Amino acid sequence: MNIPQKNFTIRLLQVVFILLCSQSLSAQKVVRYELYVKDTLVNYAGKEKRAIAVNGQIPMPTLTFIEGDTAEIIVHNQLKESTSLHWHGVFLPNKEDGVPWLTQKPIQAGTTYTYRFPIIQHGTHWYHSHSGLQEQIGMYGSFIMKKKDDDKIFRKGIDDLPTVPIILSEWTNLNPDNINRMLHNANDWAAIKKNATQSYAEAIREGHFKTKLTNEWKRMLAMDVSDVYYDKILINGHHTTDLTTVDGKTLKAGDKVRLRVSNGGASSYFWLRYAGGKISVVANDGNDVEPVEVDRLIIAVSETYDIVVTIPEDGIAYEFLATTEDRTQSASYFVGNGIKQLLSPLPKLKYFEGMKMMNDMMKMNGDLDDMGMKMSLNQMDMNVVMYPEITGEAKLMQDHSQHNMNMDDDPNRYDANALGEIKTLNYAMLQSPYNTTLPKDAPVKELQFTLTGNMNRYVWSMDNKILSETDKIPVTKGEILRITLYNNSMMRHPMHLHGFDFRVINGKGEKSPLKNVLDIMPMETDTIEFLANEEGDWFFHCHILYHMMSGMNRVFAVDDYQNPYLPNKKKAYNKLQNESNMPHFMAQNDFATNGNDGEAMLQNARWSLGTEWRLGYSDMHGYEVETHLGRYIGKMQWFMPFIGFDWRYRKMGIDEHETNLFGQKNEKDTRNAFSVGFMYTLPMLVNFQAEVYHDGIVRLSLMREDIPISKRLRAGFMANTDKEYMADLKYIINKNIGIRTHYDSDMGFGVGLALNY
Amino acid sequence: MNKSISKILVVITVLLSTVNSFAQIKNAKTETVKIYGNCGMCKTTIEKAGNVQNIASVEWNKDTKLATITYNSAKIKQDEILKSIALAGYDSEKFLAPDDVYAKLPGCCQYSRELKPVVKSNDAGGNMKNEHASHNHSEMATTNTAHAQNAPQLKAVFDNYFSVKDALVKTDAGTAFDKATALIKAIKGVEMTKLSTDEHTVWMKVMKDLTANAEKIAASKDVAKQRENFALLSKNMYELAKVSKHEKPIYYQHCPMYSSGKGAYWLSKEATVKNPYYGSQMLTCGNVQETISNK
Repeated sequence: MNIPQKNFTIRLLQVVFILLCSQSLSAQKVVRYELYVKDTLVNYAGKEKRAIAVNGQIPMPTLTFIEGDTAEIIVHNQLKESTSLHWHGVFLPNKEDGVPWLTQKPIQAGTTYTYRFPIIQHGTHWYHSHSGLQEQIGMYGSFIMKKKDDDKIFRKGIDDLPTVPIILSEWTNLNPDNINRMLHNANDWAAIKKNATQSYAEAIREGHFKTKLTNEWKRMLAMDVSDVYYDKILINGHHTTDLTTVDGKTLKAGDKVRLRVSNGGASSYFWLRYAGGKISVVANDGNDVEPVEVDRLIIAVSETYDIVVTIPEDGIAYEFLATTEDRTQSASYFVGNGIKQLLSPLPKLKYFEGMKMMNDMMKMNGDLDDMGMKMSLNQMDMNVVMYPEITGEAKLMQDHSQHNMNMDDDPNRYDANALGEIKTLNYAMLQSPYNTTLPKDAPVKELQFTLTGNMNRYVWSMDNKILSETDKIPVTKGEILRITLYNNSMMRHPMHLHGFDFRVINGKGEKSPLKNVLDIMPMETDTIEFLANEEGDWFFHCHILYHMMSGMNRVFAVDDYQNPYLPNKKKAYNKLQNESNMPHFMAQNDFATNGNDGEAMLQNARWSLGTEWRLGYSDMHGYEVETHLGRYIGKMQWFMPFIGFDWRYRKMGIDEHETNLFGQKNEKDTRNAFSVGFMYTLPMLVNFQAEVYHDGIVRLSLMREDIPISKRLRAGFMANTDKEYMADLKYIINKNIGIRTHYDSDMGFGVGLALNY
Repeated sequence: MNKSISKILVVITVLLSTVNSFAQIKNAKTETVKIYGNCGMCKTTIEKAGNVQNIASVEWNKDTKLATITYNSAKIKQDEILKSIALAGYDSEKFLAPDDVYAKLPGCCQYSRELKPVVKSNDAGGNMKNEHASHNHSEMATTNTAHAQNAPQLKAVFDNYFSVKDALVKTDAGTAFDKATALIKAIKGVEMTKLSTDEHTVWMKVMKDLTANAEKIAASKDVAKQRENFALLSKNMYELAKVSKHEKPIYYQHCPMYSSGKGAYWLSKEATVKNPYYGSQMLTCGNVQETISNK
């Protein structure tokens, strides 16, 4: 309701500014916005939490321009930390691109910074902070560039429709830094909240025990379509909105409304559906496409879609619903006046079907096998096996013995549009209205990237290298870059290129669509190409905020650009590299009746410094601390060689020596020993650890933690060649607290409170 | 001692139950709202959907259709309660239930939806295309056209044939059974005197087989048997289609695999192949053999 008003005031301001500025500059209009970035407290989901507001609002104000204007955006950083603003999908000189330490220095707390660039394109775009995790807590807004009225590609019936900017986002009551840490520590609290633990008990109940067993045999943790649990979904900052008028005109039957939708979520894909009939898609990532009518579409993180919806009847407000891909949350936007026609919520995902599919695709070495399906452009969505609305509530096996038919041989078994009556948009359906071919005489540079990662340690990379392990990729200005991407990881990735639109090679030939974000699903291969005609350092990265912060980034350096803001390029690049490989800390301790059991770890993408302790309450029970420094090897990071140091002290009264399985004597009471060894993750996620100490003593151990017995119950065990053993059971109360009971060969039986950070 | 405790407990329970749940809801606000529904089953669903422990309680009267809603106004809004009820399938003055949810209500609960304007398209309510609503719709359409003046006599026959085909595409023997029954009715309802000469000739030729094959589909709930007869039925329909008039083209489609490679044909309103002989197992198997457009 208040959105149009806001727009109005913004427009009014714009007019005022334009009037003010037009005197100084005669040739072009300068459209100026003043943005005040400030800490604030919000209550979106029952608790008062910190957020960042710009000009007192979340999302940030919609910035509107007309092609040909010059944008002047003045940022007043009133935060206690640095910030930045990136203009997503906008063509501009590299120094205005807004990536701290790549195109500028961070805007320090208390300072003012001016971005200024000409608007040389049109379309729906958005802008957001490119500093840390600020985007998660409010720093996103719509950035709309309109065509000139006399533009020869002005589309009557589309470009003149009443238009509303829509920005989607998610809200969590958790601090995003904490989310980032929990993801790296494989904390499964989000799965518990989403009811997606996929434990053994749930597997047995649904007849999928074998599926779960195979899954763990292949060393996979429970998978979900997204990793973070959100408390609320917001459309323009609200959970529910009524759109009854646009530009002061009351909506009535037959009216068409153009929604300029940007996904400003940090890590959520959204299903978009409309209760009033088909959705007509007219533009994608700010670029016009031939209108395409669909029942629904999924909008990847950071993508934009312009869609047109029609109001079929008077007296009804039709729900436009954005639902997260994991289907746990949604936000509604009611278009029209009157009684509200609802959409049914998307049914819960069939997780074990997804697990079964993953088992089939995953080879023992962690590579994915597409079984010759040559998947691309989102046409085959492996996840359809999890969608009850397409593949049915329960699997119906029919008698088809006489036909020798098998679903597994059906080439369409993952093609949602062939399977069901619901028409879902995919990239192969997008066609540009214009010829988008690149100059024929330009040299072509071919690049290939394999998207890689592993869920267990939440490391995301390209060609198994994170940003801090790679140099910038040199490109000559005027070259065409043709990039083939293959996703060999288990998650989908919205890959975003700064500064350019690329053509997606989707079978539409000359009219291949232009995009700046490419969503690529597991096992898909896609090809994109663009003309690198603007010099500078351009970021190319996964737009899932937590993947980006894990290092899934590259930089294309087009020519040797001298950025006035960054005189020392090398130092700046080092800073950028460090920011996407920050160490993360975790610690846990069980305060039990028989002693304290715990560990602390400091890790980054490759290194791990960890220490474990068992501290008794008396000298007799003893104290034991083991510290390891190791490096994870390989794409799946199953192998970690390490060096370590053990210290223990115990006073049994009698000086007891123990022998291990190999007959080696081992002094248990006091011991200081250096060691070298390795850890290897075996099938069933059992950690095998082999260690040899400086005094020649060898220790082998097997350990498994966090076996998901039921939704909140976890079991674990450990046994080693020192004839020590341990078994435990833990009940998870919340993300930081559990009740744990265990039996330990040294310390006996204990019950306690397990805290983790 | 124990006895007195249990007595006290009994007294407390009695007191509590008489005061009912009102006692538990703080900042209680009570309102009466009309919710559309039919029967006792509706009452259970409506109340279950609207109740939130210690926050909201709904009591619906099936005679007056009025719901008494008591809720903690600090914790929840009336709209949220009505939305939950609508998502369970029940219309109120504020919210219309999604069509697919309404369609899945048990037969006795399918109240008449007075608040919903006559639907012009089947799309309202969204992407989950709902079978029941579209069936009702097509039935309505057929009865309308049967009575309308100058309406092609055979339209009802074709419409019902397409419904049978759609049911087989979904491997839904139950609906195929229902639709075949409707098809028989439509065949019997054709007034031969109003047919054109060409139509009349073919009609006389195929009517007997047509009825027999439709009856066989309507006699079985085994989808394999239904499909065998549907293959025969489709041959008769094809002959009819060649001579009758259609507003939109009809596509004659072929699946080469059916019946161990003998193949089978069917008619469809859409060019896109949706195979009625295999359903989702081989949904897009087949091709268009002929486009019949006689306006």
